[in-house]
Amino acid sequence: MTESPARNNEGYLEDAGTWSPDVARIIAGEDDISLSENHWEIIRFLREFYAAHEMSPPSNRLFVKAVKEALGEEKGNSIYLMQLFPGTPAKTACRIAGLPRPTNCL
Amino acid sequence: MTTLIVIDQPPYGSWTGREAMDMLFSLAAFDQPAALLFIGAGVNWLRRSQNASGIGQKTVEKNLSAAPLFGVDRIYAEQAACDRFLPDAGQRVNGVELAPSVKQLLDQHDHVFFAG
Amino acid sequence: MKQAQDIGTLHILNKAPDHPRFMTCLSSLSDQDTLVLIENAVLALSDADTALPRHTVALEADTEARGLSATVTGAQQISHAQLVELTEHHSRIISW
Repeated sequence: MTESPARNNEGYLEDAGTWSPDVARIIAGEDDISLSENHWEIIRFLREFYAAHEMSPPSNRLFVKAVKEALGEEKGNSIYLMQLFPGTPAKTACRIAGLPRPTNCL
Repeated sequence: MTTLIVIDQPPYGSWTGREAMDMLFSLAAFDQPAALLFIGAGVNWLRRSQNASGIGQKTVEKNLSAAPLFGVDRIYAEQAACDRFLPDAGQRVNGVELAPSVKQLLDQHDHVFFAG
Repeated sequence: MKQAQDIGTLHILNKAPDHPRFMTCLSSLSDQDTLVLIENAVLALSDADTALPRHTVALEADTEARGLSATVTGAQQISHAQLVELTEHHSRIISW
């Protein structure tokens, strides 16, 4: 088992570069989420999004919008994403994907 | 109702532009039509090949490239300012429309916000 | 339902008179426009070098905060509620 790298008080990685799939499993485990291929698809999307834009989708609505843009309506909807990443999907998914906290999520 | 957000400050020296981006993305999240206009030294946001990692900031060129994904309609740049700072089209990021008249653009929008 | 002042643009200015955008704003005003001074822009009311347009109002909370409210003669002072009313009566607004 990997040691979890430095995190902030809300559980987000201090440095997105310290992320690995093992780290994702550890963070997901804290939320009792066992990562399936559907989870990994969204996580990969977020990692690529961050590499391209150096930011997390700023809000939950824009997270859903960006997923819809990239993966289609079937996955880019809040019910699907809520089932995979309970709570506020953008916050939960970004935390597991090693991204910073979405800036406009309360 | 259309909103135009105007950035007249260069990137990295202050946080005003970041706040403008937050506003832009908030409008986009609620499907409010919004556009961006860069004037004066603000056009330096649009320069290619920025890398802000050495100053511990995120690269605004990359942040900006997310705007179309979120449904931000248009990105405009003042023609005169581009002639001054970015005269060669190859220096500018893709998808920027040059605006010969800033006043005309301001007149076309119901709400105009100058950042900072 | 259109109001009389609806024709002009409402300009909301918060920059001090020595800020470059202050002059840009003033020079872009048309006759039927209304200028609202808020925050540091209310300092224009005490600035001998600044000539303000006819339809200028200033947010009273900001003039009071800066010790200007008693001496202001050139502009009507308005409350926050009146500022909200102004924004409701203008379809075009520029926040400088």
